Amino acid sequence: MTEKPLKKLSRRDALKLSGTVVAGAVLAGCATPTPEPTEAAVEPTAAPVAEVPTQEPVAKPIEGNVVVMHFPHEFTEDIVKAYQDSHPGVTVEVVDGQDATRFFAMYAAGSPPDIYRLQAPSIPGFLARKLLYDLTPYFEASKLIDMADLAPANDYYKAASPLEIGSGKTYGMVKDFSPDTTIFANKTLFEKAGLPAPDDTKAKTYIEVMEDARKLTVFDGERMTQYGYGYEAGWVDRFWMNILGETDQSLYNSDYSKMVLTTSDDAKAIVKWFYDMAAEKLTVSPKNPSPGGWFGNDFLSNAAAMVQYGFWYSAMAISDANKDGAMMLPGPTWTGVRRDPTVTATGAIVTSATQNPDAAWSVYEYFHADQPSIDRARSGWGVPALKSQWSLIPQETDFQKQAYKVLEGELALNTTPLQFNPFIGESVVSTLWNTNLDMALGGTITFDDMLAAIEKETNVAIKEGIDRIMG
Amino acid sequence: MTTEMTQSQIRKSNSGKPFLTRQRRRTLTFYMLISPWLLGFIFLAVIPLVIGLATSFTNYDGLNLDSIKFVGLNNYTRAFGDPDVKFSVGRTLIWGALNLPLWLGLSFLMALILNQDVKGRGAYRTIFYLPSLVPIAIAVTAWRIILEPNFGMLNNLISQFTPKPVAIKWLSDYAMFGMTGISIWLGLGVGMIIFLAGLQGIPDELKEAARIDGANDWQVFRHIILVLMTPIIFFQLVMGLISSFQQLNLPLLITKVGISTTSVAPRPIYLYMIHTYTQIFTNGRYGYGTALLWLLFIGILILTIVVFWSQKFWVYDNSSEGDS
Repeated sequence: MTEKPLKKLSRRDALKLSGTVVAGAVLAGCATPTPEPTEAAVEPTAAPVAEVPTQEPVAKPIEGNVVVMHFPHEFTEDIVKAYQDSHPGVTVEVVDGQDATRFFAMYAAGSPPDIYRLQAPSIPGFLARKLLYDLTPYFEASKLIDMADLAPANDYYKAASPLEIGSGKTYGMVKDFSPDTTIFANKTLFEKAGLPAPDDTKAKTYIEVMEDARKLTVFDGERMTQYGYGYEAGWVDRFWMNILGETDQSLYNSDYSKMVLTTSDDAKAIVKWFYDMAAEKLTVSPKNPSPGGWFGNDFLSNAAAMVQYGFWYSAMAISDANKDGAMMLPGPTWTGVRRDPTVTATGAIVTSATQNPDAAWSVYEYFHADQPSIDRARSGWGVPALKSQWSLIPQETDFQKQAYKVLEGELALNTTPLQFNPFIGESVVSTLWNTNLDMALGGTITFDDMLAAIEKETNVAIKEGIDRIMG
Repeated sequence: MTTEMTQSQIRKSNSGKPFLTRQRRRTLTFYMLISPWLLGFIFLAVIPLVIGLATSFTNYDGLNLDSIKFVGLNNYTRAFGDPDVKFSVGRTLIWGALNLPLWLGLSFLMALILNQDVKGRGAYRTIFYLPSLVPIAIAVTAWRIILEPNFGMLNNLISQFTPKPVAIKWLSDYAMFGMTGISIWLGLGVGMIIFLAGLQGIPDELKEAARIDGANDWQVFRHIILVLMTPIIFFQLVMGLISSFQQLNLPLLITKVGISTTSVAPRPIYLYMIHTYTQIFTNGRYGYGTALLWLLFIGILILTIVVFWSQKFWVYDNSSEGDS
């Protein structure tokens, strides 16, 4: 009996088969992927591993999967591995949190992360939307965290209500923080401009900063070869609030339903200072872009004589070009009254949607108070959240010693945290400032028009926020 | 009688007939072959479009799913009263008017030049196409170094011919020109390739016949090449129009400053998509933002219809060839 020859696969059949396979792949690809931990960037410094504080064994084994939305170069794979090795029942997934919209997308999909990295200005809004898990019992029971050891910057994560930040329930803590209005100055450039070397024992006033900036800004024809002062425009409303706080004033009315700008002479004067700095080209602005793409780079290349950044910048403030002149100065003052300059207080919260708060807290506590916090303290990229770790801040080089001396003075200020508006996002005011400043500097609108526009649009946003939150 | 015979015939003919007739097999094959695209279109285009449309009638802000409200046409009427919408539409029209003709003209010219029989034209074609392969983020970073007002290469070059150094702000005050330059640099290769394909489809016999009849180069170009290329030009015009109105990446990347998350595009390049992006991702106005996007869609659709209607006046139609 002859064997039947194998049937050749026809072109039509081959196309049908490949169509089926691809359709199957597409359907499989439509399933929600399990987020994979992203690769971490190299840590700026490598600190030797210190002895890990021991913990008493917990009564119940903690198990589960914890999703952490954080910056991969901060919540690194090494940290994940070290935690999982010491806590075998818990798996940690790190989702890149550098884009806040991803958090919204996960939230809308019904799968928000357990832990979310954010800054202090977001706390009131998140609390108003009931997105925060009350961690008070965990903090109180923690063997790693002594509540009395928490630095005052952690008060940004305490609240009795969205409009009562600073005390009450504890919703999180900082990972580290900085007094944010400190100034990094290049004394070599001061000397070249005929100015006395800056005094690191005395805070400059904002008027003095402007006067110095005028002498420190150098033009060659139209080309700006050096400018006097750089600041983070994305935090401009926080600076306004901090300055108003020197005289117990606020940028908003008592219930935060309106911004008070055009009817407050003090607020107008503060905003005018920032406007004049831009108009006289003493700082970078939409009309006067940074030569190096970022004023932090400009300080390193001696294109900026002063930059206003927090202590964290000291870890990168020295370059071959400026190493002989760089120094840290206290944050400036408006009225002579010194306020705690901490306005960002980067930390994290546990979201109210977490399905496993015990596991989430275990990961949270490890990152914020265990070995990773010691490594962060030794890296010099911020002030530790725990006061007992402040002695770990590097003080080896002359610059580090000088910066630490200034830092001590700033940390001693210890004033109440700023109350941010719970009804608007943290970038709304600064974006309006950038947009309207561009128009004002271009002559399209006047300074008063600019103020009115910022106030009007902010109040529209606040009203929308109130409608959405209050229902 | 007829019915019984017919039914009998039917029963006979149906016995052993497969379910998958030839026609059904062909239909099934068709759907299986297009299923990857169809599924992708449904899940990645249709469903998001429908969700976007629904969102545009609400006050959704990314987090208020449990208190979301239907606001009717408020988001749409708001757009017509928003001064920034009017401003950004104006800037977008200027962007299209500047970028599109330049891109079309230069890429067509480049294709004409590289269609000549010159030595090394393969290499030239590759060189001119290479910028199109550069990721846009890298391209903008490189161009920022060139266009930086104080120390950039372009202003340094211009300063060699001026009594004092200049600091022309190519990425702020004159950002429209700076962005146009970057866009054309990036897009020239792609446009050139498509025009080249069209040029190579023109029969040489037509050009030779015209030359034999005494036509010079300009006449050959004007009456043969240009005419036969109008369908390609039309295609490029429509695609370029849509792309111009949807431009977002370029102004966003030009604007990004250091670690700041609140950089705003300079006014000259505050395009419609930049305004929409700001509404959604800075102000959390997802509802309003999606309404703006739907208005953009309607605007592009109207413009495209107008261009399609205009083609009867200037696009060569070869479908009537052969009618003698």
